[in-house]
Amino acid sequence: MGRVIRGRLRSDDGVCGTGNYRDTVGFGVSLMLAFWLLMIKHVEALEILLQGLCGVHKEHLRVHELCLKSGPNLGHVGSEVRLLCDLEHPEPWTVKHVGGALRGSGAEQLSVMVRNMVESKASKNVLRLFYALGYKLDHELLRVGSAFHFKRGARITVTVSSINKMLKLHAIDDTVPVTLGIQVVEVTAPATSENYSEVAAAMSSFCEYLAPLLHLSKPGVSTGVVPTAAAAAASLMSDGGGTTL
Amino acid sequence: MVKLTKTLITVFFLLLKLDNKDVLSLFRVLHWQPNAGTTVNTQILNEVSQCVESINGVKEGRWKATLTYYKPMLRGAFLFFSFLFFFFSFLFFLLNISWIFQFQFENPDQSLAPELPRDFLGISLPEQPNKYYFIIRGQRIVLEADSSIQTIMEKLQSYKSRVALYFEGFQYQLGDFQLRVGKVTPTHSDNLRGIIMEVEYLPLSSLEKSRQVMEEFVDIWQEAISKRSLPGHFMHIEPSFVEYGLSDHYSSQHTAVQYATVMAQLIATQSVQAARN
Repeated sequence: MGRVIRGRLRSDDGVCGTGNYRDTVGFGVSLMLAFWLLMIKHVEALEILLQGLCGVHKEHLRVHELCLKSGPNLGHVGSEVRLLCDLEHPEPWTVKHVGGALRGSGAEQLSVMVRNMVESKASKNVLRLFYALGYKLDHELLRVGSAFHFKRGARITVTVSSINKMLKLHAIDDTVPVTLGIQVVEVTAPATSENYSEVAAAMSSFCEYLAPLLHLSKPGVSTGVVPTAAAAAASLMSDGGGTTL
Repeated sequence: MVKLTKTLITVFFLLLKLDNKDVLSLFRVLHWQPNAGTTVNTQILNEVSQCVESINGVKEGRWKATLTYYKPMLRGAFLFFSFLFFFFSFLFFLLNISWIFQFQFENPDQSLAPELPRDFLGISLPEQPNKYYFIIRGQRIVLEADSSIQTIMEKLQSYKSRVALYFEGFQYQLGDFQLRVGKVTPTHSDNLRGIIMEVEYLPLSSLEKSRQVMEEFVDIWQEAISKRSLPGHFMHIEPSFVEYGLSDHYSSQHTAVQYATVMAQLIATQSVQAARN
């Protein structure tokens, strides 16, 4: 099971959007913070900031993501599964099921949206298997960017990526950005159903360090633009991340 | 100098052995084929176990594998059969006929979706407890995944278990071979559906290279078991691994494919017997 938190991000450029904030709860359950981010010109600054905060080098991210939906007669209700192929390491693939969001007063008090999520590694013929089981390709996309994995109160992963659509079926070398000049920032961490509030707190605490560049919030909640973003980005770019924010 | 060389050679072989443990050794899965007009029973299973011990097989412990057949959950069929089920349940409740409650609502009409696989099965193997294997025999697909894939399948609610079977018994060590002899039973009962035997050859993982030694061992085994005049024999059907996209280097996916093949053979045998009866 997993849990996802939807968030909204604004930069001082006025770019905003909603996204997934995920974080792992229980065996395989995930909470996930994800935020749609910022004009492309700040990405480099954000990566410098993240590298300084996390103390780890970024990993290149190039993931082919396929979203499959069950055929018309299959299942009592329609279902959806995501297959992810990391193009840097073509095998294994990842099978991902993202469930519904956590609801209720407890969920509302959290600064993140929680979703149930299950992941499994699988051999590369997983797409063929799901086609054989009666699933159809709904859409596919290519995520390109960078990822940071580190521990800070929780095993946090931050990804900064652009979302690209393919012009032809499975043509990963022939893509165009879904939204020009905008990238997605996802902050994720595994958690259990017992500790997800602590994990969410750890993630929120970490995200405060990103405040000079971006704000994170749940979808539908407007946090306004980040007035310091341009100055912070300029500062970061000028001294390569040496400035304390 | 000689001592040093000997030590180095010993270390080399030890490392080789350790290395070989990381690589999966080779398995051959056999099943008991009863003679025409006979069926499997626990007496045969006991005789087989005694036969392994008589050729100096050392009992090491228990083993267990699980195989599950899945069936699609169909939207139209669900509504139609739900209606039928509740209608007849109510009718037979009125008539106080108890056997209707034993009826398992397990066979929604797959003609609503003929393109969906009828032979979709999942296997968990004791040597890979964190993995799960899916096989669709008709389309020659075998998939290896983390065991959490079962949770994903449950959440998708598109396929559910039709029948699950245990393969369980004892494991024996016999030189470089490991033998596992066990029974095939449904998970919810002790009805014996078959007898299975796994022969594992530890030093090699190449199918071609180990073919001869494996065949020689199986010949010796067949000779030993034939002396007991049991009403049947062990049979091995080697599936075409190439059709499943598997290489000569043996893996757990090869084992999973063998289990699926054995099950198909057991079902075919039982169908023939049922038709004769």
